[in-house]
Amino acid sequence: MTGQGATELTVQENAEELRRTVTRLFGRSLHIRTLDTGSCAACEQEIRLLAAPHYDLHRLGFFFTPAPRHADLLMVTGPMVRAFENAARKTYDAIPDPKIVVATGACALGGVYQPDAFTRGGAGGTLPVDVWIPGCPPSPLALLQGLLVAVGRLAGKVKDLDFSLNGTPR
Amino acid sequence: MPLWTLRGLRRGVVTTRYPARPDPSARLLPSPPAFRPDVLTPGLADRLVAVCPSRALARDADVLVFDVGACTACGRCRAEAPQAVGDSGEFELAATARAHLIKRIPLAGRPA
Repeated sequence: MTGQGATELTVQENAEELRRTVTRLFGRSLHIRTLDTGSCAACEQEIRLLAAPHYDLHRLGFFFTPAPRHADLLMVTGPMVRAFENAARKTYDAIPDPKIVVATGACALGGVYQPDAFTRGGAGGTLPVDVWIPGCPPSPLALLQGLLVAVGRLAGKVKDLDFSLNGTPR
Repeated sequence: MPLWTLRGLRRGVVTTRYPARPDPSARLLPSPPAFRPDVLTPGLADRLVAVCPSRALARDADVLVFDVGACTACGRCRAEAPQAVGDSGEFELAATARAHLIKRIPLAGRPA
């Protein structure tokens, strides 16, 4: 038992060390490549809005790049249509290490489409996802929070929410 | 000088202060539902599971399993049972593990 506890602590320490490294590497400048794997384009619209004056993600050191080779973060939308799987893997492989994968929207999280002959029903089965951003589509504020969680500048808070109300519903 | 430049100068900066300060428009966003465990009976839970179009809800014995990641915030569960379902008002939902998004809500009448 003691040994197991010690291992757990080491894992936690490693996770903390990794988080610090990610923040050091990406905290001030991060280039994003977006990848549409069969999405309805609502997620893309919201992602595009991140660059608009109201959200202005460049002030936080995030930039979009059209080239995977210049990217640090892969933002995947859509339910991972099987026809796109190969291209998704190639895009992931083309991004230099270290890299972050963010699954964006309910489709990429496996919500809307079930796995069938045409889609994998989510990005998680094809790519190693690091951060999950729910929403249909996620608002630019939610995307901004997801990106800040991905680089370790904000702590994710959804883990501690229980989605139960104690009074009358709002 | 274009008119919008003058307007911008008069009204100040349009860019949100998030994440340093909360954004006032965040409360207008659609958000996933939150449930009242004291009102949620097993029968009601089954009805909610039936109306959910994105399979975000499932019933596991005396627990309602809510997958926040699969929820599209369509509001059908809220329309089905306004007495038991409300708005969570949360938009900061990014998770570092898929399992963090799966919530288990105990149903009413569950043996303590």
